[in-house]
Amino acid sequence: MTSRQAEFERDALPHSRSLLRVARRLVSDPAMAEDLVQETYLRAWRSFDQFQTGTNIRAWLFRILFNAFYAQGRQSSAAPMIVSLDAPGFDPGANRQAGLPYADAAEVLAALDALSDEHRTVILLAVVEGFTCRELADILSLPIGTVMSRLSRGRQAMRDRLAAPSPKVFQARASAGRAQRELG
Amino acid sequence: MNCSDISELAPLYVAGELDAARAAGFDAHLKTCSSCFRELEAQAKLEARLREIVLAQEVDAARVNRRIREMLAKESLVEAVKRLERPRRRWIAATAGIAAAFFLLVAGYLLLPGRVSPVYADAAEDHQSEVIDRAPRRWQTDPAEIAARARKVGVDITVPAALGSGFRLERAKICQLDGRLYLHAVYTDGTHEFSLFLRARDQEGLNAAVRGFSNGRLLRACASGKEHVASFSTARLSAIVATGEPAAASLAYAKLASAAIQD
Repeated sequence: MTSRQAEFERDALPHSRSLLRVARRLVSDPAMAEDLVQETYLRAWRSFDQFQTGTNIRAWLFRILFNAFYAQGRQSSAAPMIVSLDAPGFDPGANRQAGLPYADAAEVLAALDALSDEHRTVILLAVVEGFTCRELADILSLPIGTVMSRLSRGRQAMRDRLAAPSPKVFQARASAGRAQRELG
Repeated sequence: MNCSDISELAPLYVAGELDAARAAGFDAHLKTCSSCFRELEAQAKLEARLREIVLAQEVDAARVNRRIREMLAKESLVEAVKRLERPRRRWIAATAGIAAAFFLLVAGYLLLPGRVSPVYADAAEDHQSEVIDRAPRRWQTDPAEIAARARKVGVDITVPAALGSGFRLERAKICQLDGRLYLHAVYTDGTHEFSLFLRARDQEGLNAAVRGFSNGRLLRACASGKEHVASFSTARLSAIVATGEPAAASLAYAKLASAAIQD
């Protein structure tokens, strides 16, 4: 292994989990999400010489991921996701007993997945991955005003959806139940 | 600043990106406008829950990491073959390389995203050197001595001797973060330790991304080096928590501190 490759693996690979987490919510098929992340790393490696060590590699990788995502023509994107209710380590009822707001994880995820690609993307990157508005503008090649308005609209859309009982949540649960029965 | 400004600037405020003057205007508006405060509170609650739910979902990166490593090995092999076949025009590559490096340096400087605010960086550094690495300092353990030092830096409340979850005040001293004096208190439950920095609240807020909500107060948090830092403001105090543990721990400790400080 060359020292450059070792450097790439050391600095870039620890972010694959974050990238995969976002990719899984951009494309409906888990295998396609992995392909998207692999494509991101291939592009990143090929342009790693242009990357300046010490700058924000995580933001750089996300920028490449979105370029790859849009280059693929968002195949199979924005399909309503079925929330996996029995993924290991995932308890949709967690905290329900504590009486916390938004206790139902399936409802919150359904509200996130119901957003448009543009709104879901900025919400995921800002709220879950912790990027700032300036970083988002850089990652998505958008004016900062557009990032801010997408964040505001995305936030409002999620809250509007969660304010009223949502039939789509029940639909998602029913689909998940059907899928489990078919698999089982 | 009116309600419409608040609505427009909320994304920058929540991300901790407003400049100090506008952040202070934002804070001042929230103090007097319960409607905007409730709006931000509801948003912070939803976002904290969304973050918790998405991060709790299992993402197995092992397989994709294996695929990436295999791909890198193949790419390196192809590169090695190409290098052997490439004509030796290294001076052209070198000149282009220098130009590109210069351009990236300038562009990188101009585009570099906001750095961690100096007060948080100082808090993280103090926690690392004085609490984790145990650099020798003149700590006070006597409650009366600690109270006297708190008063010296304008902290006019009784520094909580105990917090929830079995944390108790172990020691404290005066320190300086970003040019201001703070009381640096260390709390421990016998296994974990964290730092709580307190000063009298003034016009200058603690600017960082909003990451939670506790006891009617917004919790802000960021990472600085290996440390995680969280902050909140009470009616009279500004408080910063620093820990070497993960981000969730910094927020949990800030919640404990916030719950114990009523003013």
